[in-house]
Amino acid sequence: MSHTTTATAPKAFGGGRSPFNVSYGKIMMWFFLLSDAFTFSAFLISYGTTRFFSAVWPDANHVFSSFPFMEGGDKPLMFVSLMTFILILSSVTMVLAVHAGHGNDKQGVVKWLLWTIIGGIAFLSCQAWEWTHLNHQGAWWASFQDIHSAKDVYSHFFKPDVLAAATPEQLSQSTNNFFNFFFTITGFHGAHVTSGVIFNILILVNTVNGTYEKRGHYEMVEKVGLYWHFVDLVWVFVFTCFYLL
Amino acid sequence: MSHSPNNDNIQHLYEGDQSKLYSGVLAHHHDPKSAESKAQVAKIWKITLILSIITIAEVIGGLYLSAYLSKIIINSIFLILTILKSAYIVSVFMHLGDEVKWFRFCVLIPLTLFIWFIIAFLYDGSEWKMFNDTNPARFDYHQTK
Repeated sequence: MSHTTTATAPKAFGGGRSPFNVSYGKIMMWFFLLSDAFTFSAFLISYGTTRFFSAVWPDANHVFSSFPFMEGGDKPLMFVSLMTFILILSSVTMVLAVHAGHGNDKQGVVKWLLWTIIGGIAFLSCQAWEWTHLNHQGAWWASFQDIHSAKDVYSHFFKPDVLAAATPEQLSQSTNNFFNFFFTITGFHGAHVTSGVIFNILILVNTVNGTYEKRGHYEMVEKVGLYWHFVDLVWVFVFTCFYLL
Repeated sequence: MSHSPNNDNIQHLYEGDQSKLYSGVLAHHHDPKSAESKAQVAKIWKITLILSIITIAEVIGGLYLSAYLSKIIINSIFLILTILKSAYIVSVFMHLGDEVKWFRFCVLIPLTLFIWFIIAFLYDGSEWKMFNDTNPARFDYHQTK
């Protein structure tokens, strides 16, 4: 075999080299993320179908209006914005870790991976608080199924005029659907964040142990980085679908 | 195998660590103190700033815009901003913008399925709502009391 592999700009599908110019591991990570994108979008689109089907729907500015340690205050969307910032920043620290890896800068990789892990854990803690808070208001999977409940039980979730005009059946059905989707989708996303944090810890241990230094490159940081950015990407869509639209 | 990470003689890698072959590792390596490296870090922070500004704009829009604009216009703005944010994340943070053309196509072309996926299922939802609103058998559901 000759050294023609390093020649510049041969035909993409001329043979003898990958037309993608990407390693097997990175291609497979991309294709896994592509399939995961379809899983998440199946969830989000069925949420959209159900919402289009419903006569009334909970209002995000009412459902998500609390902030830890500031009970009683009406702060719509503030807490979830904080969560979004935490996740965006942890994505930034991850891309800085990947960048440090390109320069074979072991200390840089360790530093930025640590910040990424802290960001991921902070996000999960915020989500745990939000779930607990909603649960205290009666929300969970399969909640609000009793159509004979007084309208008071829905007062945290709807605009007052919508609440007054809706029938008990509409309130029960839409609130039940809303929270089934909310806990399933944010839960599925949270499971991705959790496994991302675990992957980050694993590659941090490998980096500290010098595994990648001996290998001569930090491609594993890039692959886990792709996964981590994808988790951030999904949150961008979850944020839009649940909190904005 | 002992070799320097910047060794351009990749012959021996066919038997060993395959990830070095096409990962661009050989081309990517740079000095962290070089001007090029610093320019990349500056770009990352610039994108961070853009993503933050878009998110703040979305939250402000979610809180106050509904008093001034119709729902369909607000939602269109949100969707455009969301796609803009995701394009920045995929192209810069995930470095898809730096990959070769054929690889970009392989990732992006399957996403066109979403055009059918979203339209078909949202249409289905609104069709069922119309059925509920107009079918006499479902009339009680909407007209209690």
